[in-house]
Amino acid sequence: MKVTLNWLKQYVAFDWTAEELAERLTMLGLEVEGIVKSGGEFEGIVVGEVLTRNKVEGSDKLSVCRVNDGTGERQVICGAQNFKAGDKVALILPGASLPAKPGEPPFTIKVRKVMGVESHGMLCSPRELGLAEDADGILILPPEARTGQSFAEHLGCAAGDVVFDLEVTPNRPDLNSLIGIAREIAAVTGNPLRIPNLESLKAATADPSAGKPQTRPTDQWVTVRLEAPDLCPRYVARVVSGVKIGPSPDWLRQALGKVGIRSISNVVDVTNFVMLETGQPLHAFDYSLLTRPTDSAASAATPTIVVRRATPGETFTTLDGKKHTLNEGNLLIADSVKGIALAGVMGGQNTEINDQTSDVLIESAYFHPTHIRATSKQLDLRTESSYRFERGADVGIADWASRRCVQLILETAGGLPTPGVVDAYPAPAPLAEVCLRFSKTNALLGIEIAGTEQRRLLESLSLEPTASSDTEGTFRIPSFRVDLKREIDLIEEVCRLYGIDKIPGTTPRGAVGFNDFDRTHDALTEVRHLMNALGLDECQGQTLISDSAAAHLTPTEETVFLSHPLSADMNVLRPSLIPGLLDTLSRNAHHKNPDVAMFEIGRVFSNRDGKVIENRELAIALTGLRANPFWAGDDRSAKCDLFDLKGLLEEFFEQFGLPRIAWNRNPSPRSLYVESAAILLGGKLPLGELGQLHPLLAKQHDLRNPVFLARLDLDAVLARRNQSRSFKAIPQFPTVRRDVALLLPETVTHDSVLGAVRQSKTANLQQVDLFDVFKGQNVPEGQKSMAYAFTYRHAERTLTDNEVNTAHAALVTQITKKLGATVRE
Amino acid sequence: MSFLDHIDPLTETAIAELTAAADSAELDRARVRYLGLNGEVTALLKQLGTLPKEQRPEAGQKINRAKNRLESLLNERRTELELAASLPKVPSDFTLPGRRPTVGRLHPLTQITEEIVRSFRKIGFAVADGPEVEDDYHCFDALNTPADHPARDTQDTFFIRQGTAASQPATSPTPMILRTHTSSVQIRVMEKQPPPVRIIVPGRVYRRDNADATHNPTFHQVEGLYVDRGITVGDLKGTVEFVFRDLMGPDTKIRFRPHYFSYTEPSFEIDFSSALTRKMGRDWLEIAGCGMVHPKVFENVGYDPETWTGWAFGFGIERIAMIRYGVTDIRLFYENDQRFLRQF
Repeated sequence: MKVTLNWLKQYVAFDWTAEELAERLTMLGLEVEGIVKSGGEFEGIVVGEVLTRNKVEGSDKLSVCRVNDGTGERQVICGAQNFKAGDKVALILPGASLPAKPGEPPFTIKVRKVMGVESHGMLCSPRELGLAEDADGILILPPEARTGQSFAEHLGCAAGDVVFDLEVTPNRPDLNSLIGIAREIAAVTGNPLRIPNLESLKAATADPSAGKPQTRPTDQWVTVRLEAPDLCPRYVARVVSGVKIGPSPDWLRQALGKVGIRSISNVVDVTNFVMLETGQPLHAFDYSLLTRPTDSAASAATPTIVVRRATPGETFTTLDGKKHTLNEGNLLIADSVKGIALAGVMGGQNTEINDQTSDVLIESAYFHPTHIRATSKQLDLRTESSYRFERGADVGIADWASRRCVQLILETAGGLPTPGVVDAYPAPAPLAEVCLRFSKTNALLGIEIAGTEQRRLLESLSLEPTASSDTEGTFRIPSFRVDLKREIDLIEEVCRLYGIDKIPGTTPRGAVGFNDFDRTHDALTEVRHLMNALGLDECQGQTLISDSAAAHLTPTEETVFLSHPLSADMNVLRPSLIPGLLDTLSRNAHHKNPDVAMFEIGRVFSNRDGKVIENRELAIALTGLRANPFWAGDDRSAKCDLFDLKGLLEEFFEQFGLPRIAWNRNPSPRSLYVESAAILLGGKLPLGELGQLHPLLAKQHDLRNPVFLARLDLDAVLARRNQSRSFKAIPQFPTVRRDVALLLPETVTHDSVLGAVRQSKTANLQQVDLFDVFKGQNVPEGQKSMAYAFTYRHAERTLTDNEVNTAHAALVTQITKKLGATVRE
Repeated sequence: MSFLDHIDPLTETAIAELTAAADSAELDRARVRYLGLNGEVTALLKQLGTLPKEQRPEAGQKINRAKNRLESLLNERRTELELAASLPKVPSDFTLPGRRPTVGRLHPLTQITEEIVRSFRKIGFAVADGPEVEDDYHCFDALNTPADHPARDTQDTFFIRQGTAASQPATSPTPMILRTHTSSVQIRVMEKQPPPVRIIVPGRVYRRDNADATHNPTFHQVEGLYVDRGITVGDLKGTVEFVFRDLMGPDTKIRFRPHYFSYTEPSFEIDFSSALTRKMGRDWLEIAGCGMVHPKVFENVGYDPETWTGWAFGFGIERIAMIRYGVTDIRLFYENDQRFLRQF
């Protein structure tokens, strides 16, 4: 909502500067989003009187004029043809600038020579003054304009003006009007609200002795039938006959222009002006275009305004020339045969005010917010009118706004008002009453505001106390305050007017919170910190990804789709964090960083029989160099491999108390991987998977080095996390180590070696460590050498060489027999 | 002349040789020559038997004294030589880059979230959580924002497609949406637990905005909710001031402005002012929304609004991170460029 400082001052007195007003309104909850100062723009422009006009020799168009600027005469060259000696004009003096057009530098007038003749100023056109979009010739002012007066003063905005852009919250439709905003200022300043006086109108309609011709009363011009009182409970109609449609006077064009509304014609501008003034949208119809009943009874020849639901498939063309197909959910203003306005949204082309319009029917109605909202949304048609109705207009102002509209039409377009009104309001809604316990305000705000003070604050907002005691008050809620429904709403008003800045903050106190999730939050933090310690950076990916990326990780039927995605790149909820990590790797690779080790913790989504399941996942991606760059060492250019990733996971599982993890190779990995393994807890419960990204996908993501990926079901991991720790005595007796290198068939896994060792049940064997795996020289084709260190220890005594040797020899024999291995000497 | 007369000259020679040894190999050779199994000093001891019995003790003592002297010298020299050998041959270049282990960094949004959580925990808040895929009851209706409420216009919502494309369910089920704010968790928690409630809820939320410098369809919020007996606007202000000073520095000023949210009444927007905002050329910067829990919300979860009052507030984590670190494009948070992540 845009308002100007000067316009506001018509309704309430205040002496704040623009900045002070902005601050006060903001602290009342009407946030000022922008302040634009204007009006200094007419500096150096005065009302001039053309004294003489003569042709410039040698030119068809140019004339040389003597112009009185109020202090003396000056010579001005002008190219326009629409003026004569004696006309009052807008004269800009040398050194002054024309009002700047948006995005253009201001044009400054200088004394200059045109065809050898000096020009000391310029006569301005409405376009140059920013008063109209298109205009031929210069602006001719009314003869009564005072020569020498500043042009701004002539327009009635002498001190310049300030336009405020206000953010009106959806609960306060009453603030979509000048009077509404002025009411807030009145409440804060204590100055009275000055509502425009409609006395002149009374005189115009009620005094036949005034010598003006009289016209028949309104109800003989029009009747109104409400067929859907649930959607339109009130419809006020008035007629002004014999108007002369034309351009609006300057003050009206200016007022609308400053707040961004284009001037159309005097009558239409007045309806807009009154809408801005009161918040009540109005519509003017060309009365002559309403269909009259054809039967000849004179009294019945009155057009009827029918407020009805559209018939299914009924078409209607709005003012903007768009044709809409309607249904029963849309409300139409109609005459006996056709729709004439889309109720509360936009008028119809068929009854639009035009140059020939002489009689005007003014509509001032109330339409139900939900209905207007639905229609406006359905037809994708949003107007100043629909905006106000869908937020809740003031049913009580309909008649006043209608009268104000008539008053201003008479002022700007002439004509005769019809006596009386047609006000179809079959079931006037009683004003609501709300009771406020003053103690409740104080309990909620945490301060003491006396009951009398609370009552005063509410009264200043035009809430009328109907009953009041020391402890509570009942207030009648004016019809424009649709947001005040219950006690808490009144408390808010007291708080707002009292000033939130005057309520002191109190030191935090009170109950200790608890929530089951609290521990989980800490566990997640722990996982993050551990991942950092393991050398991984944390990243955060998009939740919304493409279904094609998701397809590598989950079947389509388990994917959660959006119904109206923003784009095909973001049409599903991620089933895993892996696609996001791949994007991250890819983006880093594009920025010449091929070495990335990252993890993400986040939610992933899957569709199980129509139910959306959310799980937390931990995903890891490694690619490129294993270690930070260094300037020495044979392995400094070593790249990450599968076992870097596995090592991270092993450390993670150990720290989170999850022993006995099995790593089962997938014989047929999903399309994402070239090779992968399932991660199983206790050999059974799936915790996740790890693997190497398929080279084709790596290529698609421009990743040159092998990429290793892992994902864990973090909910499952945390659920089985074992945090219990217990002390075991530190061994007293020394260990004995025996190494053996085994030649094994290539396909034999480390796990099966360990299995064979376990099976042997060798006494005093504490630990088995693999310390070398080797293929190549001296190892036959199809075989590999695996070197193990076996550590023996007895808990209560030192083992002798002999007993270790015997046990170890037996162990080696068993393993070799079991695995078809030979001992490599 | 007895072999005893050789003891002293032999000792002197041995001492000279041990002293002169330039490295441990030479020292060892000298040791073998004099003190080894067949060494010259050892030989003297072997000759003791040739002496008359009464002379033996004295001679033995003399030889042993010499031997001990040599052995202690040997040890001394060995330590000396070993030390010399272990000293750096060339002085180290302390300006060479070190071999750095990799330690990862937390995402800046996580760091901010952790700080916020830490501040709230200092004053007794517990962390709570709820689903990101929500029904519109918990996201809107229960929060006093019915379907035709104009406030719902300002939040563009993502809807989950229900049923498969091939088989749309016959009866339309409850629409599932991506939560547009963490406030839905207020309802989830209050439905589950009796008052008092004191929680904060960090989490992802979603709005149907195309990504640009200030929008991403996914972003993060933190919600705070405190319900107890006798909770006041003053408590809300006090807590907000405490948390934001903790978070943004002790010079931070907080301003409350009346505003409108359907689920709180009175409602406020919170502006803050600090060296950071002044650096951005602004006196006040909007940072959060808050208010006293609307009685209707309490009624919806079965709390008696006559007994319980409370406040709630929420703010965007990205916004705080952007202000704190001077990040100018929200998309950077989701691109995970390592050059970005490693700055925090």
